[in-house]
Amino acid sequence: MSQLPWHSLSLNPLAAFGILLTLGVIGGQIANRAGRLPAITGYVLTGLIIGPASLHLLNQELLSAADLFVNLALGLALFESGRRVDLHWLRVERTLLLTTLCYCLAVFAALCALLLQGGLGWQASSMMAALGMATSPIVILEMLRETRAEGQVSERLTTATALSSLLSVIVFAIALGSAHLQNQHSTEDGILSPAWLILGSSLLGLLAGLLAIALNRWLGSQQRQRQTVLLFGLIALLVGLSVMLNTLPSLALLVFGLATRNLRGGHTVSEPGLLSGSHFFFVAFFVAAGAQLAPQTLAAYWPLALSYLLLRSAIPMLCWWLLAPQNCLSRQRGLWLGLALNPLSGGSAVLVSMSTLALGPDAAAFTGTMMAVFVISELAGPLLTRLALRRAGDLPPED
Amino acid sequence: MLEFNNSTPLTLGVELELMIVNRRDYNLTRGSDDLLLLIDRQPHGYDIKPEITQGMIEIGTAIHQGSDTMLQELQGIRALLVSSAQKLNLGLAGGGSHPFQHWSEQQIYPKERYQLVSELYGYLAKQFTVYGQHIHIGCPDGDAAIRLSHYLARYIPHFIALSASSPFYQGMDTLFQTSRLTSVNAFPLSGCMPCVENWTQFNEYFQHMAGLGIVASMKDFYWDIRPKPEYGTVEIRICDTPLDIVTPTLLAAYAQMLAHRCLEDGWHDIQAAHYHTYNYNRFQACRFGFDGVLVDGAARQQTGLQEDLLSTLNALQPQARALNCEKELSLLRERALKRQSDSQWLRAIYRASGSLSEVVRRQSEHWMYGSNA
Repeated sequence: MSQLPWHSLSLNPLAAFGILLTLGVIGGQIANRAGRLPAITGYVLTGLIIGPASLHLLNQELLSAADLFVNLALGLALFESGRRVDLHWLRVERTLLLTTLCYCLAVFAALCALLLQGGLGWQASSMMAALGMATSPIVILEMLRETRAEGQVSERLTTATALSSLLSVIVFAIALGSAHLQNQHSTEDGILSPAWLILGSSLLGLLAGLLAIALNRWLGSQQRQRQTVLLFGLIALLVGLSVMLNTLPSLALLVFGLATRNLRGGHTVSEPGLLSGSHFFFVAFFVAAGAQLAPQTLAAYWPLALSYLLLRSAIPMLCWWLLAPQNCLSRQRGLWLGLALNPLSGGSAVLVSMSTLALGPDAAAFTGTMMAVFVISELAGPLLTRLALRRAGDLPPED
Repeated sequence: MLEFNNSTPLTLGVELELMIVNRRDYNLTRGSDDLLLLIDRQPHGYDIKPEITQGMIEIGTAIHQGSDTMLQELQGIRALLVSSAQKLNLGLAGGGSHPFQHWSEQQIYPKERYQLVSELYGYLAKQFTVYGQHIHIGCPDGDAAIRLSHYLARYIPHFIALSASSPFYQGMDTLFQTSRLTSVNAFPLSGCMPCVENWTQFNEYFQHMAGLGIVASMKDFYWDIRPKPEYGTVEIRICDTPLDIVTPTLLAAYAQMLAHRCLEDGWHDIQAAHYHTYNYNRFQACRFGFDGVLVDGAARQQTGLQEDLLSTLNALQPQARALNCEKELSLLRERALKRQSDSQWLRAIYRASGSLSEVVRRQSEHWMYGSNA
């Protein structure tokens, strides 16, 4: 009887995805009902419990196999986030653009100073600081969907999130190039790599946008369902191509979304919105993100991680508080908007793995600190965003 | 006892309910508070206020002698609204109903009266997220207001056809030229005023209804036409909010010409029999617009709505001259001849784009930046 299947039972990728989804939904509901926590926090906690750090129900190999769904979730979120950037609005409301630039650069400078002070090298510090500029599009979009938030804080939050992600990947690519140079890798790595990362990714995103608009027009106005399938296909293709061409998928997808929103004829490319159909992937994404967390890193790196997070929370709050009246907000709502920007970008984990190759001796400290940062941020971020949106008055009254 | 505050006869005012939409997918958004807050940061003196749900806003003009000065005021209000809406990334649009919003997603505006309406009417209150134009015509006294209210009932199908701009509702083409009135019909105190002959009788009716605990004020009547004693006016409430700011002034001019003829001729032919065909004719106008058929119960004959409208407009030449609104009369004739309606324009956009979101985007562009000609 030794050949019966349960004697050599091991999960395959599909079963792993099923577990991510099923346990994720159950965990999200428990967190919501028992602790009145956001469902996202429940998904992340579920991942943490079933992942390699705890019960080990999912190992690293299976998590890697589920990467397909995770990357697609990230792609959908980044595309949608790019579509939230309305260049027409930014031309009218320049203060919003300036405020975002201002707080992102302030966060970058402050984090650099902190990390240098904490003993990290210049390259590792600048890369970590670049990652700290970005707010997570996937968390923000999911929180807005879950809470049904609407209003000026939410509107500015989504735009600032997309812009901060754009800035973050650009600065990160430059920092990465500089790290290659400093560590005496080839000149190509140092100069061509950031140029390729930024220009190549942007070009890919732009081409995808133009293609989506052209194909949308060709399919015709009565083919909405096919247009939606096409868009899913293009997003998956762009994620895959970006990885194949060693560009930055996050930048390419943000540019893709931005292009379809702002180029002529792109307005109807995403109708009905993709977000309702993306929920499957988002749940899997958050559970997988939870499973990737490494709470043990907190033991060694918690002081630096905590300082990092406090600083990147305080600076946006201060900037938005100061510039709130110019942004048509009360000072209080400005403060809450700054807090709502708290969740750290979900795509950062990918960038962290890219950085380790370039950093040499600083790689261990860099990875350890970032992992400790993720543990706190993934759990606290959604909670803080919901609190901020509620206090800002953007949530509908409970029926 | 309701007191009718007399006003200068034939003076005009309009109120317009507008949609507030986001500029992402052009669905309704809870933007009224933010918009009002920003508008009120600057001194303006215009009448701009919230409505029953937070995706609506209402603007009202001052009292005007004619529609030309009314248009100037509407242009001023629009400029103020547009500059504020642009800063907040909001869209504003005319139209009788939002093509694809879902009523259950709407939020009642936190104001005592609206909360009471919501408690009493339940889901009907949220379904009342529809957008109309109200026209006020000044009356010398309550008796004249009652006569004028009955007189205008005959012409209600004309106003419906000329303003129809709600062919889509909850994501569907309703096949109606205006679907908005279906939402209004659900209220128990909608329809038309009872067949009272003068202000004293109206007061008796009102006291009776108040005594029964059915109404507390005139606001509780959702009639198509009602006297508005505190303003000293008759209020026509049947029109969809048009897609631009010129059409409301044309509709106001039409009401003014009809009122002029009623008051000048001393019309007093108030009969319950006139109302036998009221709902049928109203339905014909809602469903078919200019192509509807009107039934005249007394003459026992049917007439095409377009034909009836054109012959009425032709007969109003003397009133147009007296009120200096011949240009408005001519524009109304042109529209009636071409069967030009906002509903058709919206359907044409949908046919070309296949997107209701695109329909609202164009609606919004049209209201915010359309020409004044």
